[in-house]
Amino acid sequence: MVRIKVEKPKVHKSVALHIKAITTAFKEAISPGTITIHYPRERRKLPDNFRGLLQLDKEKCINCFRCAHICPANAIQMYQRENKYYPGVDYTKCILCHFCVDSCPTAALKPSKIHDVAFASLSTMVLPPEELAGEPEMWREDTVTVEYDFDGDLKMIKRKEVENLIVEVEKPKRPEFVAGAAFPENCIACRICVNSCPQNAITFKLQDLQTMVLEIDFEKCTGCMVCIRNCPTQTLLPFRREEVLKGGESNEQG
Amino acid sequence: MVDVSGIVSGIVEKIFAALTANMVNIPILEPLINKLLQIPLINLVVAFILWKPAFVILFVPGLLAVTVVLLIMIWWERKLTARIQWRVGPKEVSRRTGGIIQTLADGMRYMFQEVIIHRDAHKLYFLQLPILSFIPVLLPILLIPAGTIYAIRSPYAIQIAVALTALLPIFILGIGWSANNRFAFIGTVREAFLYVAYEIPLMIAVLSMVLLYKSGDPFVIVEKQWIPGIFMNPIAFIAFLIGMVMAAGRLPFDISEADQEIAFGPFVEYSGIIFGLVMGIAYEKLYLLSLIAAILFFGGWSGPEIAFLGELSYAIWLFLKAFVLMGFIVMVRAIYGRYRLDQALKFGWSSLLTFSLIGFFISAGWVIWLG
Repeated sequence: MVRIKVEKPKVHKSVALHIKAITTAFKEAISPGTITIHYPRERRKLPDNFRGLLQLDKEKCINCFRCAHICPANAIQMYQRENKYYPGVDYTKCILCHFCVDSCPTAALKPSKIHDVAFASLSTMVLPPEELAGEPEMWREDTVTVEYDFDGDLKMIKRKEVENLIVEVEKPKRPEFVAGAAFPENCIACRICVNSCPQNAITFKLQDLQTMVLEIDFEKCTGCMVCIRNCPTQTLLPFRREEVLKGGESNEQG
Repeated sequence: MVDVSGIVSGIVEKIFAALTANMVNIPILEPLINKLLQIPLINLVVAFILWKPAFVILFVPGLLAVTVVLLIMIWWERKLTARIQWRVGPKEVSRRTGGIIQTLADGMRYMFQEVIIHRDAHKLYFLQLPILSFIPVLLPILLIPAGTIYAIRSPYAIQIAVALTALLPIFILGIGWSANNRFAFIGTVREAFLYVAYEIPLMIAVLSMVLLYKSGDPFVIVEKQWIPGIFMNPIAFIAFLIGMVMAAGRLPFDISEADQEIAFGPFVEYSGIIFGLVMGIAYEKLYLLSLIAAILFFGGWSGPEIAFLGELSYAIWLFLKAFVLMGFIVMVRAIYGRYRLDQALKFGWSSLLTFSLIGFFISAGWVIWLG
């Protein structure tokens, strides 16, 4: 057995310590530094990037499936509705990583600050797009929003306001694309692209008997990719507009 | 033919006259009391309630005051400790008042809870002792006067009161024995160890004050306090205060109960309202010792007289002084951690005993100096 010897404090020192303890208690009793948030009546202010429940804006959704593909927990399933597909979330699987929100190109999936949720049963945790689109049923008792002030001593800032738990997200900037000939050697000069282009941005010019030159007017091209989809030999591919303009490569021959 | 009704009415009248001769005088309630005294039968009850010896036991500083102490002090202890420790404390029952009726709600819950008597218990003592423990709580109250409201006047009142409160641990030992449980056993042994360690310094502190005032009569004691006793003999007060914390089983010395270690020790097997009773024992003892401390060290019931309360104002002053003292003592829970049994024993038998003896010699010095 090891005995640890604790040095005994001198009498006057221990008396001073006792007095200090008692005065501290009195001080705290008079003005305590309580930092409790009385939760249902008060709510802590959450940052905008808080990862809570998901919200779906069906109007903005373009059925791109990216959310379903990126979901690491495989919680998002696409549901067919009126010849379109919309995401639905299975909250039994969802880990609230918000990869889907990050991947959404049109900000149709929005984050929210709702994290205090109760489901009636396991089956109700699987939300189809309709339920994901509507606002969840909320009973809010809070009238006060609390923020912590971490500078120096921990303090609480209380404001008499009700925080909106649904976050509005701006539509992210989409990169603009233009069509360009990636593999000119494939071109068979069928002119399907010329005929299909809604903007008449593609023209063919006969250079000599052997060679045809395919010209794409990047000013006119809107990046609708109709030509790319229709090309039978996969000559054309989308390119980023800014890269193309910088590189100055305008046309290819085939 | 004997006139039975005449004899009975004569006896009743005599009793009524005896009761009304020694009644508490409360000016603010006088019209109501006078009206009630004119109604037959009810006047007997009213006269009995207001008869001073009965009033002492039933109201202040008796049962009603004990109830108020139990209801408010437990809440106050929880609330104050929570405040010091940056918590909130009881709040949800009656939010506007800060949960002041929390103890009442707990008490009602105890009322409707089943009282379980386990197989190993000595059934008779297990149920009897919590109720019998009211004897050493209420008997000292007969000897503690509140101004002119008193039951028994005796030159040894303080000594007897302290001796009677010292009986409470015997009941706790009995409770622990009858529970027949390992935790109860450990708690009982701890209580038995501590009993002498705190009771001797406590009694020496009390006796030193009795020596100072040269009487154990509370009336004489209060009369002689031209300055409060705490300034005449602060060392005895500190010894009494610490002994009181130990005796009442408040936190730094609640070694026998120690709910985190041995789950309320002797009271581990209790449930329902009986648990409420045994839990109250510590607070009742604290209340009694606070009353004695108020008389010995804080001038008892002396204070500016409240005119409309009449004789009751003395009782109110005594009660308030005891209440404030208790309010301070329950705060100790938030300041100190629990001592080990050996530490507490060592402290009780060395420092505390020395302190109380020094207090005794200071009193002796006063007596010699003042003559």
